[in-house]
Amino acid sequence: MNSVESNPIITVKNLQLAYGKHLVLKNVSFEVEQGHCLVVMGGSGCGKSTLLKSMIGLLEPIQGEICINGNMLWVDNSHGNKIAKEFGVLFQGGALWSSMTIHENVALPLGLHTDLADKEIEELVHYKLSLVGLSGFENFYPSQLSGGMKKRAGLARALALDPRILFFDEPSAGLDPITSKRLDDLITELKESLGMTFVVISHELASIFNIADDAIFLDAKLKTLLDRGTPRSLLDKSIHEEVVDFLTRNESSTN
Amino acid sequence: MENKSHNDGVEKNAMSIPGLEWKHEQGELFITLSGRWLLSCPERQQVLRKWQSLIKQARDIEIFHISCTEDVIWDSSLVIFIRNAMGEFELNKKKASLGYLPDGLPKLLQLSKERKTTKDKNVHEGLAEDFDKFTADLPNYFARPIEFIGAVIIACTELVSGRSVMRLGDLVESARKCGASALPIVTLISFLTGLTLAFVGSVQLEKFNAKIYVADLVSLAMVREMGALMVGIIMAGRTGASFAAELGNMKLNEEIDSLRTFGISPISFLVLPRTLALFLMTPLLTLYADIVGILGGLTVGTLVMNFSTVHYLEQTQSALTHMWEIYSGVTKSLVFGLIIGLVGCYKGMNSGPDSAALGKSVTSAVVVSITCIIVADALFEMIFSYLELR
Ligand SMILES: Nc1ncnc2c1ncn2[C@@H]1O[C@H](COP(=O)(O)OP(=O)(O)O)[C@@H](O)[C@H]1O
Ligand SMILES: [Mg+2]
Repeated sequence: MNSVESNPIITVKNLQLAYGKHLVLKNVSFEVEQGHCLVVMGGSGCGKSTLLKSMIGLLEPIQGEICINGNMLWVDNSHGNKIAKEFGVLFQGGALWSSMTIHENVALPLGLHTDLADKEIEELVHYKLSLVGLSGFENFYPSQLSGGMKKRAGLARALALDPRILFFDEPSAGLDPITSKRLDDLITELKESLGMTFVVISHELASIFNIADDAIFLDAKLKTLLDRGTPRSLLDKSIHEEVVDFLTRNESSTN
Repeated sequence: MENKSHNDGVEKNAMSIPGLEWKHEQGELFITLSGRWLLSCPERQQVLRKWQSLIKQARDIEIFHISCTEDVIWDSSLVIFIRNAMGEFELNKKKASLGYLPDGLPKLLQLSKERKTTKDKNVHEGLAEDFDKFTADLPNYFARPIEFIGAVIIACTELVSGRSVMRLGDLVESARKCGASALPIVTLISFLTGLTLAFVGSVQLEKFNAKIYVADLVSLAMVREMGALMVGIIMAGRTGASFAAELGNMKLNEEIDSLRTFGISPISFLVLPRTLALFLMTPLLTLYADIVGILGGLTVGTLVMNFSTVHYLEQTQSALTHMWEIYSGVTKSLVFGLIIGLVGCYKGMNSGPDSAALGKSVTSAVVVSITCIIVADALFEMIFSYLELR
């Protein structure tokens, strides 16, 4: 991949996030290049999910700005719908709509945001579900699926509108190694064939080294972004002990 | 186990129970732990009590040495014993040294060394904190509900102008759930209400030789008051609670967040069909409850008081000459339905991030909506009597 550098599709500047009085992150700035995969790392509770929430427009920052594809989030709300169509989100637990079947889950965004005929929607749903290895489960309800399957169905739904940017919250947590590997391959595939941009929260070192073009490390104690770079360069050059620890933790066991 | 010299005391040292030996030497106390230090050993309590009294007597001791025999059998109970003992020494500014400990135990002690430093959130800190919390929560009491109602109104205007994402199927499904499937319970409750009213009335009216007016009493009470109120209370407990639980659970599973990320307003998509269904169904159920209640009265009138069915029904008809009597109950029930739907959905949407909070918001949905219904009912009666509509 040799896409032109300094063409950020997401720019986060001096972000500060909190729940009520409880400050979670401050002074967070980074960019994500078009067609790259950014991995967000950090110990649990350091605010990775919170950062993701603010980037998809669910949590208003106290301070700072988030610019996605030229649209400033939180400044001008009229973009809301347009932005929604540009990105897909896979939540930590899949977050499928429990009152609908898997098919309906994937079809709903298509039905609401496109003018496609039912037949076409049907075909698209089948295609997206087969992409994540779930064809044949169209008429199952989320409660009838295992955790990993829910996550994959959530991924199919996130892909429904062919978004340009995908946000994943711990996609491989709770997945078996084979499914997890398939997911990594899918990410690489989508990135290379369609030029999609990814922001992925992940703990899995194997997966991080596989998919990440870029990585940021959040720290719970300092409540900020500690370091950034490619996983390789972080591992080799980071001056922060936590980052190196994080990246070497299972190196011996995974390699 | 063999005892060393200068034993000041020997606490049970058979292998089947926790053993604690101590040796007192010029301001130093040597403690040796042996035997089975297991959580499942009930004798541990005696040993611990003994330890407590020992430590009280040992004021003059400056240095403690703790060690274990090599054959000690242990689990967490030994770890917490040593941990607590060390903590106590530190607190009293005494020195403690650790001798031989079984493999792994020093590591566990090291790992568990970190003491609680953060303020425990659940500790009650008195009035000042209560006030702090109250002022911090103020927006939740006032601003949030108003914001919510505003959002619902916007969603309604979207619905009217045909731009809503609400699906008709959801409305029908909600209507079925809160309407048709509530019929059995509404039948039972309102029949019994009519029955009770008739019994209570008959005793009083008999004194005035006006027993037939039981028909008036039952029918007026049902259509004006009890029909709407009973249906309201049933709906609050049944449907309001289920709305809160459903939406609260959806919030827990991030389903509401994922709706938002697709640009789908949860208010239009979830709140509107439910509230609308309840708004439409409650009046119908109220009319039904009125009829069943009157039938309950009729049962008492004919079977107990020996009126003929025709006589009783004619009397009922003459009591209800003004359709307003019926409309007034139905008007109330429209408002009740709205209250229950909005409160249930609001409590669900604003439920906390865990299942305990979910339980709380369901309870609170029921309590708040029943309270609101009764307050609204009283207001209605005041307004009706002020306007001389009664
Ligand atoms: N809804 C919430 N309300 C209040 N505090 C929250 C909420 N969600 C998360 N937090 C707090 O924010 C911090 C970061 O959480 P999160 O972003 O979920 O961490 P993670 O990096 O594990 O995804 C944690 O300290 C957590 O307690
Ligand atoms: Mg998280």
